[in-house]
Amino acid sequence: MRFQGRVILVTGASRGIGAAIARAFAAEGGIVVVNYRTNEAAAEAVAAECRTLGGEALTVAADVTSAEAVAAMAQRIAEEAGRLDAVVNNAFAPYRFDPDRRARFWETPWEAYGRQFDGAVKATYTVCQAMLPLLRRRSGASIVNLASDLVARPSIAYHDYATAKAALIGFSRNLAAELGPLGIRVNCVAPGLVYPTDASAATPEEVRETLIAQTPLRRIATPADVAGPVLFLAGEGSGFVTGQVLHVDGGLVMA
Amino acid sequence: MTQAEIIEALLAFIARPDASEAEFEAMALQVFAYQFRNNEPYRRFALQRGRTPLAVRRWRDIPAVPITAFKGLTLSCCPPEAASHVFMTSGTTQGVRGRSYHPTLAVWQRSMLDNFRARFMRGRARIRMGILFPDDRELPNSSLAHYLSLARRACGTPDSQGFIGADGLDLDGLLAALAQAEAGGEPYALLGASYSFVPVLDALAAQGRRFALPEGSLILDTGGFKGQSRELAPDAFYDALSAAFGVPRASCINMYGMTELSSQFYDDGNAVCPSVKSGPHWVRSRVVDPLTGADLRDGERGVLVHHDLAHFNCVSAILTEDAGEIVPGGFLLLGRVDGEASKGCSVAVAEFLAAARS
Amino acid sequence: MIAHAGHLPGLSREAVRWREVAHGAWGERVVLALPELDAAQAAALCEQVRENARGRLKQMPVARIVDAVDAAVARLLDRDHPLRRKAEHLLPIVTGYDRESVRLGLTGYLRTFRRPQLLRFLAEDFANPAMLDGFQPAAKGGLLRAQGPNLLLHIWAGNVPALSLWSLICGLLVKAGSIGKLASAEPLTAGWFAGLLAGIDPEIGECLAVVWWKGGNAAAEAPFLQAADTVMAYGGNETLAALRAKLPVTTRFLPHGHRIGFGVVAREALDSRKAPALARLAAHDVARYEQQGCYSPQMLFVERGGRVAPAEFAGYLARELAALAHRHPRRALSPGEAAAVAGWRGAQELRGLEGAAELFGEPADPWSVVHVEAAEALSPTGLNRTLKLVAVDDLAAVPALVGPYRAFLQTAGVAAAPERLLRLAERLAAVGVSRIAPLGRMTAPEPGWHHDGRFSLLDLVTLTEIEPGAEAAAEGFASYAD
Repeated sequence: MRFQGRVILVTGASRGIGAAIARAFAAEGGIVVVNYRTNEAAAEAVAAECRTLGGEALTVAADVTSAEAVAAMAQRIAEEAGRLDAVVNNAFAPYRFDPDRRARFWETPWEAYGRQFDGAVKATYTVCQAMLPLLRRRSGASIVNLASDLVARPSIAYHDYATAKAALIGFSRNLAAELGPLGIRVNCVAPGLVYPTDASAATPEEVRETLIAQTPLRRIATPADVAGPVLFLAGEGSGFVTGQVLHVDGGLVMA
Repeated sequence: MTQAEIIEALLAFIARPDASEAEFEAMALQVFAYQFRNNEPYRRFALQRGRTPLAVRRWRDIPAVPITAFKGLTLSCCPPEAASHVFMTSGTTQGVRGRSYHPTLAVWQRSMLDNFRARFMRGRARIRMGILFPDDRELPNSSLAHYLSLARRACGTPDSQGFIGADGLDLDGLLAALAQAEAGGEPYALLGASYSFVPVLDALAAQGRRFALPEGSLILDTGGFKGQSRELAPDAFYDALSAAFGVPRASCINMYGMTELSSQFYDDGNAVCPSVKSGPHWVRSRVVDPLTGADLRDGERGVLVHHDLAHFNCVSAILTEDAGEIVPGGFLLLGRVDGEASKGCSVAVAEFLAAARS
Repeated sequence: MIAHAGHLPGLSREAVRWREVAHGAWGERVVLALPELDAAQAAALCEQVRENARGRLKQMPVARIVDAVDAAVARLLDRDHPLRRKAEHLLPIVTGYDRESVRLGLTGYLRTFRRPQLLRFLAEDFANPAMLDGFQPAAKGGLLRAQGPNLLLHIWAGNVPALSLWSLICGLLVKAGSIGKLASAEPLTAGWFAGLLAGIDPEIGECLAVVWWKGGNAAAEAPFLQAADTVMAYGGNETLAALRAKLPVTTRFLPHGHRIGFGVVAREALDSRKAPALARLAAHDVARYEQQGCYSPQMLFVERGGRVAPAEFAGYLARELAALAHRHPRRALSPGEAAAVAGWRGAQELRGLEGAAELFGEPADPWSVVHVEAAEALSPTGLNRTLKLVAVDDLAAVPALVGPYRAFLQTAGVAAAPERLLRLAERLAAVGVSRIAPLGRMTAPEPGWHHDGRFSLLDLVTLTEIEPGAEAAAEGFASYAD
């Protein structure tokens, strides 16, 4: 039980990768704050699963790009848990990974970049700012941000999405440098295509097969594959690791 | 849970000596949730420790408040002015006494009596008592005065007497009662603070007197000497009691209690010291590493933590300043835990305070 | 293995009763044998050291003593020397300090006793150190001669490795016959050093002894306390008072009581770049020797108004202590020490509930930092890497906060711009601070420092002066007088 008694905030945890991460923490005894934006029923279902798995869970609705909502979430965590050991910034702006209908560069308005920046960088910024006071009270807190292997290897050019994730990696490295002296580590997990999730539902079988053919480990990531590295970076096993990007794509990117 | 509900649940739990470990745990977590919600300083303490009802699943993880907190903080689930009784410690830190607030004594009394009957009365309904401590009218804020007064009212015969009043020790009265008991042949129980026995022992020694109280007689002492009398080592103390009153050491029972709890611990006599102490089924004791708060293995010496569900209105889990060790059947009480001076040439707290006082 | 402690010239190992004491730390154990002399042996040893000193040490030029000390220290600094190896092996087991701390601490400390430092040390106290060898002209006229005590008794305390060398060397430099009583918590280095000296210059070796008795054992200590004409003692006030009461009134008593160190950080030192570095230095001062040294900081006063607020500085400090704990693990604490730390931490935690204090670190961490915003007076912490950081509006508030504890003051570590350093130093000096060090060097006094603000050598000697009149009068009796 690596996370017995530890409190972990997972943003966007009502479904997909976030839900898998929440469940994985709970299975290690963690107390998971299941953050969601609108789907309360889904979040409650994840929380119930967490309890079944031997952990504890608290669902908190908050739009992670809203400073007020996130501040209220921090307040709630402070009042109910009294501590915060790790933050997993998983939530992102809605996006469809549809290679057939993706917007090419000349079709991508600046506003689309802006939306993705808000979803990736602003959300992470807002959550980190609000949670910092709680994280500083622990010795050895950790922040894990979900990036993408598309930054290192744009197999398919999702301009707005991948550019925002690239910014998130730069953001994370600077934060790692700043917070290291305060004992807080910051790392990124960069998955390749994860299937099945709502966002990747539109990715055709053919594209997935092509990716699989190029992937040394010969398959596509599942949400549970992402959870393992996230737990590693949130826990004591990575106590001397900060500012890193861990690719979880079966070896598609080697860096 | 409301106050009425928690009281009802506790009274029911106290009435069930067969309650399982799981039922104790469930009750302990309910009490913790109640205290977390209603006792603001304790809530802050638990939050600071990151041990909240959300996080705590086992009674052992309920955060224990250092006993000194009862001096500085108002640890009460009910508004302090709503307390019918406030018990205060005799010892102070810079003039401040530790306080326990009781909105009702119903649980406190049930806890005291059930346990007292089981551990001291041992099946007897009543016994003639001599009490070496002021009564609860004299000392309304003393938990020990309430304890002894309740013992006398509920378990003493009508001819039981108290021998310490406003004028101090009534030695003549006591000696007369002892002589009468000795002659009468009915068992007699002498109860009081440990230090109250010392002047009696001294007076008897000075007069060269000894009693041989009838078989079945009992002695109950509690609290140690606290600088109120000479300090006696446990063996010397029980040898002296046994010699002076003719009560075998196995019938000399030491009660270990404190203002900051609502239940007491007893041994089964002091034929051998240190004796094994234990509490009733609504109390659990742990021995922890003072630094980390982690449980030590049985037989390892550390600091005692008590979880007393009956202390529902304040805090049930307290970290004492008593050294102890878990042994089969209970725990050993091994004196106070004191900080040590520096091993080097830096000044430590005790010397600094001593200099500041002088 | 058994290691014998002490240095007992003229006594064979068989003639002495030894008390064996086991020590264990870092997974190793060692048994030390400490000498327990009987009253006759003790009295004879005192007499012998006194006589040898009179006949030999006092006849030597001080330069010869300096050379011998320098040579002995050189051997202890040589990491390949068997004794140095032994010290690096045994001292961590006996004192509990981690190997790296002992190694770095020994080197840093011993290097302050090389020849140039010893000469500086002499020059610090004596306008003309040659007055230790013979009469020298005095500035006001006439001649001056300095004599050390015939028998100087050192009573050492504490577990800081090699601390005893300081006073032992002081005594030798003024040619005092010297007997040192080992501290039970570090009963090794002084004896080793004496043995080295005896090997290098056997005549000097005859003039000092290193002994042990159980602290407070009246029968054992009496022969030494009666024989010494000067006693330099370390310990708590209670110990020192008891000792003083046992000394003949004519005996000179030089006590060094326990002290509390503190740090002061000015706002100009608290910018985004300097503050983290400064936190690292302060953490080093806290961790070195687990705050057991008289110079170790227990409290830090941090000025508001810098770019880095006191609360943030506390965070940096906490992190530096956490990082240091990896390199230099904390000693295993005795139950009493653990209780002291737990008691202090518990009290701070309760204050934290009222919002009056902010506590960093978990109970299980081998360090604790607490930060308070309301100014409060100096007070000891739980030691063993527990630090209180107090925010102040202005450095000028600090002297009043430490002043009431004058008797315990010694070292202040200060980080401030020159002008403010001087202004603050002026006021700290007035309340009894005797040493101002930079952060990071609080536990490493410079060679020739004035321990507790005293003259380490000058306090030991008695001066004999030939007044100018006597010198002039003598002229009248000269054979060549007109």
